[in-house]
Amino acid sequence: MITASWVALFAPAVGVLLIALARDLISKKQAGYIAATSVLVSFGSSLCALINLLGEDPEERSHSSSIWTWLSAGSFKVDLQIMVDPLSVLMMLIVSGVGFLILSYAVGYMHGDGEERRYHAYKALFVFSMLLLVQSGNLLLLLAGWGMVGLSSYLLINFWHQRASAVHAGKKAFIMNAFGDATFAIAIFLLAQRVGALDFGTVFSQAPEVIDKSSVAAVVIALGLLGAAVAKSAQVPLHTWLPDAMEGPTPVSALIHAATMVTAGVYMVARTHVLFELAPAILHLAAVLGAITLLMAGFIALVQTDIKRVIAYSTMSQIGYMFVAVGLGAYGAGMFHLMTHAFFKALLFMAAGIVIHALAGEQDIRKMGGLGKRLPLTFRIFVIGSLALAGIPPLAGFFSKDLILAHALAEGVIGPILWVCALVGAFLTAIYTFRLLFVVFFGKPSEHVEGHLHKERFEGPFAMMWPVGILTVLAVVGGLIEIPGAWHGISNWVEPVAAPLQEPEVWMEVLSPIVAVALAVLGAGIAWRLWGTQSDTPARLRERLPQVATALEHKLYWDEAYDRVFSVPAQQTALFLRRAIEGPIVLGSVGELGRSVRALGGRIARVQSGLLRSYALALAAGLAVIIVVFISVR
Amino acid sequence: MTGPGIVAYVVLSVFLFSIGAVGVLVRRSPLIVLLALEIMLNAGNLALIAFSRHWGNGDGQIFALAVMVVAAAEAVVGLGLIVAMSRRRVALDVDKLTTLRG
Repeated sequence: MITASWVALFAPAVGVLLIALARDLISKKQAGYIAATSVLVSFGSSLCALINLLGEDPEERSHSSSIWTWLSAGSFKVDLQIMVDPLSVLMMLIVSGVGFLILSYAVGYMHGDGEERRYHAYKALFVFSMLLLVQSGNLLLLLAGWGMVGLSSYLLINFWHQRASAVHAGKKAFIMNAFGDATFAIAIFLLAQRVGALDFGTVFSQAPEVIDKSSVAAVVIALGLLGAAVAKSAQVPLHTWLPDAMEGPTPVSALIHAATMVTAGVYMVARTHVLFELAPAILHLAAVLGAITLLMAGFIALVQTDIKRVIAYSTMSQIGYMFVAVGLGAYGAGMFHLMTHAFFKALLFMAAGIVIHALAGEQDIRKMGGLGKRLPLTFRIFVIGSLALAGIPPLAGFFSKDLILAHALAEGVIGPILWVCALVGAFLTAIYTFRLLFVVFFGKPSEHVEGHLHKERFEGPFAMMWPVGILTVLAVVGGLIEIPGAWHGISNWVEPVAAPLQEPEVWMEVLSPIVAVALAVLGAGIAWRLWGTQSDTPARLRERLPQVATALEHKLYWDEAYDRVFSVPAQQTALFLRRAIEGPIVLGSVGELGRSVRALGGRIARVQSGLLRSYALALAAGLAVIIVVFISVR
Repeated sequence: MTGPGIVAYVVLSVFLFSIGAVGVLVRRSPLIVLLALEIMLNAGNLALIAFSRHWGNGDGQIFALAVMVVAAAEAVVGLGLIVAMSRRRVALDVDKLTTLRG
């Protein structure tokens, strides 16, 4: 099992090396196949680890293995160490499984791009980084994986580096993630100082003994970890990079910015729940931030016009649900939603990718419409993805979202408030999801569609369709692994690692789905009324509430505010320093230094007269001086 | 063994060395400079032999032989340079050879 996990970790790294070293020896398609195969090997190995774990007693399903000491300083030691336990195996399966499907899809999607090899190598690098993140057995390695997924995300967002907006978006994502990395590092420093070790086993057993509950240290550590999670998972207030990250190719959005990387924050909170439980206020803060994000993203998604941005805001909103779950201590529920979300959100992105592909790169939904008849298969897939996202039974999203709702109801004071927020969020989810569906696939084909879809059916090659098919099946049945009130596959699986803080009662598990589904259906109905039929209600609403609409279209002015507060002052300071300090002092002194050295050299060079006899005289004189000195000193 | 004491030999050696050194410093003809160099080397040889006899062992004589070999080699190179100079019709004056000026 340990060997299988190591193989799972390093297989994608080998894939990257093969693609990088083979260069032109392999065709672009083969590079894609190498990347996909390496991830498939990871998935197979993860399955091996899963089967082995299943054969063990639930209490003993935790193994750690290290191959060498990475760094040591006195008694402080960090190993290159992996952890195999239910939580990491679950993440490994999601990352490598969904990763394999999306990498296979990308072989078809990226076909014809000039730099396909680089793309596939980056993609495999991402899977390696993500596996490192979820498999690491200590916090430092977790941080290394954390940084590396940030790097691969950056590389892939600005994959089309000819586009200025893509480069901009990549930088933005990297900088905002770097902020999270920094707070993560602060938390790790403090832990290393207090506990003296960073491996999960020691930290989680020692930390409650040496750090007092709700002490300053506990709060700072939890805040540092939360900062990292919030940045990586695009939650308020560090969320603005995610919509811009949609500049990357669509399979990248599906894998990194929907299914796996952005959910790393949820995994991290579940993994380090011991540290968060030492500071319950911060854990609740995570839940509150999640609730704010899920509402805000839901509202913004209502007015966005870029198909990928709508799905991106929906991703933020769904991760908000996961944060609510883990913030309330319902780790199993959070992980369950993470899994089902990976299925249906990847599915939605891939379906959107097919639409964008078919329309020659067009992403504006106002130019779409009536695609249902032209892309019937994609249409059905999109319907299934939307139903799963909106939480309509019996699809995946229904079970996972309602488990979170039930857990919220079970929590004391803060729970019911979050429950209401989550229900409003579910309502909004249904509206924006079905708005997307109706605007893109219903109604009459627009001029743009008529112009670009000449063939009666063009939905992409088989290479793109079969991974979508598998994901469709998963989005339909993926939720059955855990049925609230009946049986708890994921919760029981994760429980040995992260036991939930509360146990919802049966009436909560029954009430929540009923209300949520009712609201979702109501939302879908409203969406049909507004965008499904030919009505002028959206335009009238816009006229009625112009400020609200403008604010939402500007994404509630977060970007503008960050520009004002951070970006502009930083640029002004830099310009000032360039003018006042660098110009006259740094640049001036460097030139002066060079000139004076040259002048000195010119003067010394005159000694080299070329006159042989003067050299000989100097020699003789020097010798004489030395002799005189030796004799007189003695 | 009789004969002058060690002091006489060393004085003679210093005298010869000084003549050679002055010759190197003041003469401009490379040929003469070379000759003066030989005188310096032989002054050294004389001192070596004298000390060898003074201490009664052969070390100094071996050194003297080595110096002679070096002197012969030096003479070959030096004379070769001088021949090359005269072939190129360069004036035989070391003060005019200042191409390596800094």
